[in-house]
Parts: sequence; C-alpha cells; structure tokens
Amino acid sequence: MGIAEALVSGFSQVISPHVLPYIIIGALFGFVIGVIPGLSGHFAMAMLIPFLYTMKPETGIAFLIGAHSTVAQGGGLTAILFSTPGTGQSAATLMDGPPMTRKGLAGQAVGAAMTACFIGAAFGAVALAFMIPILQKIVLVFGSAEVFMLSFLALTFVSVMGRDDMTRSLIAAFIGLLLAMIGLDNVTNQERFTFGSLHLMDGLDIVPVVLGLFAASEVIDLWLRGRLLDKGVAATTSFRKTQKQIFEGVLTTFKKWWLVLRCSVIGTVIGVIPGLGSVAASFLAYGHAMQTSKSPETFGKGNIEGIIAPESATDAVEGGALASTLAFGIPGSSSMAILLGGLYILGVETGIPIITQHVDLIFVMIFTLIIGTLIGTVVGMFVINPMARLTFLRGSLLVPPLLAVILTGAYAVERSWFDIGIVVFFGIFGYMLKELNYSRASLLIGFVLGHAVEKNLYLAVQLGGPAFFLKPLPLAFLILIILFVGYNIRSHMKYHKKGKGVMKVGN
Amino acid sequence: MNSYKQWRKTIFILVTLIFTLSLILTGCGSSQSSGGGSSSPSASSSSGGDSKQTTTADSTASSSTAASSAPKDDAASFYKGKKMSFIVPYDPGGGYDEYARMIAPFIEKYTGAKIEINNMPGAGGMKGVNELYVAPNDGLTIGIINGSAMITNQLAKISGVKYDLGKLGYLGRMVSDPRVLVVSTKSPYKTFEDMMNSQTTIKLGATGLGGSTYVDAVIMAKAFDLNQNVIHGFDSSSLVDQAIQRGEISGMWGSWGSRQKAVKNGEVRVVLQSEKNRLPDIPDIPTVYEMAQKTKDPAATLEIIKYWAALNDVGRPVAAPPGVQPDRLKFLQDVFEKAMNDPDLLAVAKQGSRDLGYVSGAEMAQIAQDATQMPPEIEQLFVKAIKGEL
Repeated sequence: MGIAEALVSGFSQVISPHVLPYIIIGALFGFVIGVIPGLSGHFAMAMLIPFLYTMKPETGIAFLIGAHSTVAQGGGLTAILFSTPGTGQSAATLMDGPPMTRKGLAGQAVGAAMTACFIGAAFGAVALAFMIPILQKIVLVFGSAEVFMLSFLALTFVSVMGRDDMTRSLIAAFIGLLLAMIGLDNVTNQERFTFGSLHLMDGLDIVPVVLGLFAASEVIDLWLRGRLLDKGVAATTSFRKTQKQIFEGVLTTFKKWWLVLRCSVIGTVIGVIPGLGSVAASFLAYGHAMQTSKSPETFGKGNIEGIIAPESATDAVEGGALASTLAFGIPGSSSMAILLGGLYILGVETGIPIITQHVDLIFVMIFTLIIGTLIGTVVGMFVINPMARLTFLRGSLLVPPLLAVILTGAYAVERSWFDIGIVVFFGIFGYMLKELNYSRASLLIGFVLGHAVEKNLYLAVQLGGPAFFLKPLPLAFLILIILFVGYNIRSHMKYHKKGKGVMKVGN
Repeated sequence: MNSYKQWRKTIFILVTLIFTLSLILTGCGSSQSSGGGSSSPSASSSSGGDSKQTTTADSTASSSTAASSAPKDDAASFYKGKKMSFIVPYDPGGGYDEYARMIAPFIEKYTGAKIEINNMPGAGGMKGVNELYVAPNDGLTIGIINGSAMITNQLAKISGVKYDLGKLGYLGRMVSDPRVLVVSTKSPYKTFEDMMNSQTTIKLGATGLGGSTYVDAVIMAKAFDLNQNVIHGFDSSSLVDQAIQRGEISGMWGSWGSRQKAVKNGEVRVVLQSEKNRLPDIPDIPTVYEMAQKTKDPAATLEIIKYWAALNDVGRPVAAPPGVQPDRLKFLQDVFEKAMNDPDLLAVAKQGSRDLGYVSGAEMAQIAQDATQMPPEIEQLFVKAIKGEL
C-alpha cells in the first residue's frame, strides 16, 4: 500500500461513523481521567482494554489513542488552576501555571496550554507520518550509551533553573538524585534506603511525590495565606474577561510558534527514545525555553512561555512514542505498553507487518491524535471558565476539597495507604523547600532522571566498556554537555557579578 | 490579624510534628510487619494490617453463615450478584494482566458475580501475592501468580516473601511457561551447539538480578557449562530486545509466549527449548533434554534440568487465599475449568495469540508441591542464581 493511498484510506476510516464516535467518547473520557489527580493515561487505556475484543482494529485503535491523547490536557488544566497535577507528566507545568493563576491570569494560562498541547500533538503526529519509511533505523540509533548522555544532558538543565541560587538548586537536585535511588536496585539486588520497608522496595512513585511536593505544599501555603490569588489581584474576574484571556492565551501560543516548534521537536525525539518519557521531555523543554528566553528570571513566577514549552513537548512525545512502539514493539512509556497489548488483542502486529501492510492504521493513529487533542482543546476552553470561578473562592473553602482530592488521587494510583503518607511527607517537605527557597524543580529533575542516568550508565559500561562515550553519537552529546555547562558557568558568573553590582547600588 | 496568622503558623508546626512522629512510628511498625503479612498486631496504618483485620472479621462472619445452610447449593448461590476481586500482581498491559482480563468475563459468566481487576504491581510480583495471601478468605478474592518466580523467591527466602505457595487454594493453571533461548539472526550462533563450542564469551541480556530471564540464563549456563556473560539491569524485556537488535548482546532467555513475535518478525531465532516434547510451533528446535546428551556429563545436566523444568511447570496459576471453605473452593475450581474450556475463551486466546495450558486445581497444588522438593545442592544452586551469586 502506497503512503498516499494509506493516507486517504486512514482519513476516510477516521471520519467514518464506526470510528469517529469512539474518538469523541475516548477523548472525553481521557480528558476526565486526566483532570482527576492520580489517574493517568495508562489507567484510561487499561479501562478500555476489555471493550476491544469485539472491535475492528481501526475502531479499537481510535478508541485507545483518542482516550490517551487528551489525558495530558486534562492534567495540565488541574495543574494550572489548583497546582495539583492531574497526571505525573504535567509536573513541569507546575512551575509557571499556578503563579499565573495567582495573578488572576488562569484563562490565559489554560488557553495557551490547550493550544500548545494541540500543536505539539499535531506536530508529533505529522512527524510520525514522515518517520514511517525510516522508522526502524531511528529507534536503533539510541542504545544505553546514547540514552545515558541524553538524560545527563537533561540533568544539566538544573544549572539553568537554579540561576538565582546555584548552591541551593544543586543541593535540591542531589536530594532528588538520592530520592531516585530509593528501592531495590535491580543491578545489584541491594535494597537502598528502604529501611526494611516493603513499600519502599519499588522506589517512590512519581505521582505521590509530585502531588506532595507541589500540590500538598501549595495547599499548606494556601491555608496559611488564606487566599489562592496574590494580593492586589481582584477577587473575581468576570466571565467575559476570562473568555478574553483564553483567546489571548491562544494567540500568544501562535505568536510564540518558534518556541512551540522547538519544544515539539524535543518532545518527539524524547518520545522515540524508549525509557525517558514525557516528564523528562517536558522538563527538557522547560529548561530549553528558560535558556533561550530573554527574561529567564521571570520563569517560575508566571511566564507564559513556561507553560507553552512543557505542554507542547508532553503532547509531542506521543507521536514519537508511537513510532518506537510501532516499529519495534518497544514501548516508550507504560501507556504505550498497554497500547501494544491492545494491538495484540485487535490482531494487529507491530514491527515490519504494520509498516508494510497496515500503513493505513498508522494514519488512523495520526488522525486520531490530531482530532482527539482538538476535542480536548475545545472542551478545555469551555470548561475553564466555570472551573476558574473556583479559584476565586476563599482558601478555607478550597483547602478541604483539594486535600481530599489530592489524598484520594495518591491512593488511587496503587491503592496504597503508604502513598498517602508519602504525599503528607513530601507536602511538608515541599513547603519547607519553598519557604527556604530551594528549587523544587531541580529536585524533581534529579528525581525523574536519576534512574535513567544510573541504569543506562551501568549498561553502557557493561556493553561498551569504560570508553563507551567515544562512539560518535555519545561523543557528540558529550561535547554538547560540556559546551552547555561551560556556557552556563560563564553566564552564571557574569550574572553573579552583575547581581553584586546591583546590590552595591542598592546599599 | 497578625496574631491570627501567628496562631495558624503555630498550629501548622504542631501538626507537622505530629505527622512526623506518626510517620516515624509507622516506619518502625512496618519494619516488623512490612507488607502486613505477619500476624503481630501493630498500630501502623499499613494496608496489610488493615486487611488482616478484615480477614479475621470476614472469616468468622462467613463461617457462621456456612453453618446455617446446606453446602453445595449455597456456594453457587453465594456468588450470584457478589463482587469479586481479581488481583494481578503486575501493571496493566502486561502478559499477566492480559490473561486475567481475558478470563475474567468467563468467571463472571459461570459464577454470576462481578469481577473487579486489581493491579497491584510491586516487588517483582511479590506484593500482589502477599496481598492475595492475607486477603479475606471468603472466596471473593482470587489472583493470578507468577508461579516459578514466586516459588524460587520463597525457596531463597528473599526478604519481602510473606506468602507460602503451598497453602494457597488453587483454582487451576492458565498456562505453563515453556522457555526458549533466542539469539539474534545476525549473531554467529546458528544452533545451540555453536554456543556450546563458542571460544568467545557469549553475551546474553536479562532484566533484573534474580528475575526469570536472569535465573534461566545462569542456571542453563551452569547445566551446559557455557562460556557466558549475562548482562542484567535492563528495565524491561523489550529493552533487551532493542539491545539484541543493536547487536550489543547476542540473545536472551524468555517465555515462548513473549518471544513469539520477535521470532515471527525475523529478528531472532530460537536455538533451544525447555519442554520435554518439542513445541508444535517450533518442531525443528532441539530441547534441553536432547542437548543434554551432548554434554560431558549428561546425568548432572539432566539433574539440573529436571528441577528447572518442575519450576517452569508451575507457570501461571490462579489461586485463592488459604483457608477458603472447601465447598466454595470446589465451586471456583469447577467454574475455572468451565471457563478455561469455553469455546469463546479459546477463540479470544487464539485471536490474541495467547497460549493456554489448563490443569485442574488439585493437579496444580501437586505441581506447586513438587517444585519445592529439591535436593539441597540443587536448591543451593537456585538460591545462588536468584541472589546473583552464580
């Protein structure tokens, strides 16, 4: 089947009456799951698996991917409004989303996030289409040496985020790395920092940690401050004004098309590489946006670029992740692992068969991704106005339901009481970090990447010997890392000097 | 206003202290009863502790109902309209999850109960089994188990084992897990004999230390005296696949079910299989028993293979917690047999190319029993393999 023919066939299948309704149902379902903290994309997909047995392949695929495509959007929505990430992958949105809400700009933030999601997903999907002919070769480029270098590069973004206070930022990042080591190491079979607890043997799950660090700590803060919005912001924004903000947000995203595009590329590339995932992608994109921004000091205080970048990257991941899943049956994320199981049930074989005989199904996936996120974007824009009303409520009214949602969300992931304890612990810890001006973002980067860096370094040394970094691609990454760190040390010193100068003037 | 704020801060600090204290207490408590399997009463709020309490509460409740009415009919009517829990000790989307979701509708069909699938991943499949072991034994909780791995963990007394597979009530087995050794089609090894005669070190990949891909590789290397290096630490078997295709390693051990696809796609070829009789899908590939004749000491090789095969035979059983009333267990065993032979299930399994290998609950209990009966030196070998000391 030729590519053009497959494209037409895929499109006509997607808009046919036995597929389109499932995309819509799936997309709405995924959106709701995304909004609820603790329930993430792979949960949404797992719920749909039992329905697949009686479905045609194109219907089943559209159903699964439709549900999966909107989860990140739903997650972004709660992250921005209530600083409670609906899913783990919205963690990076927590940097600038909630600060914008506090400024009374929730509409703008959500408008930008939804649009960025859509463009990111569309970019990833189109990239997937272009990758079809060379799909097989791309995935094989990345072995453990390459993944190690790439995750190490992502780790060095700490240096960008901690510009204000490098020492504290590095301390936070190292704490994050230590947290990542908790659990049973499957290289040595050693239990590390588990204190004999079976619960800690599998390490800390990202969802309760993020919920604690960012959501629970903000609830504590909200309780103490009594109000979600900053001082000086009008207590309510009118319906019409929020509407206007949404369109401003959409417009801003289109104006920043170059940033969106670059972050989409980051997302797609990370998506193709098995084992890094969308959290890493969104932080990389965030760091990248900060690095290239003209006003990096406003990041973390409500810069709209800090929302656009991670949101476009997380959704672009899907296209890339689909590529590696389809080409090799190597799932890039847990959701993709479930998709793989679903494809098995539908009788669709990944690998060479799908690339050569079922290209139309790949196009069904591509169009589903685009249509699904479009539905998510539209729904998000309608939902935001009533939901944003909630943020104007008094803190004492917001704290109890938010806390209930956060704790339920933490419990829901693995039905574990222990995770509730984790949330409480990290809530208090996160509040302390915030008050003492340690970067929670740096900590999270360390935590998210710690495992990938450590595990892939071990494998790279085992497979390629101590000089594994001399192979061309790892070497290129290494040079990039050195240049990047060097540049940042230089600009940090410059910044510091300038800072001292300002201080002197101030004195 | 200011004093109000101050007051709130004080409260916050107090609450923090209380939480911290209770966390420390919980931590100490769970180190004694981690996983909640032990019967020592602890004040900790761990989930295990809770379910233990419900266990006793439920069992007394159910035994009193059983005493008041006739047994056989009672079991069938007991399940009508009830909610059952099906524990899957792995994440959604994996092979175990697929098997559970595949059979659940058929168990619903024959019991009239509603089944909820509970994924309880953790500790390499041990967490779910621990939870199953202490679940209420009213017959409303069942679970699928990674049999051979759980037995070897139990033998090695790995920390975290809070179960005794000999005491579970088996409904039967869904499938046995025949193992195969696959190597890349680009590797120099055409047959297993090439590997036995290899002058250079053979590099095989595996997931975690002590996982089945690892244990199979080192045990068979010992049995066949191979010049081999197992590189473990891959996060999943699909990442091992990727390394095979990149040519970084030559091959891996795995279950035939999970390797089928890579074989069909021409990425790898099977060179050795574990069952006594060659599998119908791969009739040209020698078995371990056949190859054992070509070693220097066939008797010693066969001795290791014998117990390794007993472990593989355990496969993927479905079981209920210990102490379920005999009539309910019997009813569940009958239901499981009917479900496993339902033509619709057979069709679904075929569609998803998932093999089935039913044995009854009674046979399954025997198989589990046999797998634990090893001579000390063989047991030592397996324990070493699991602990990564081989």
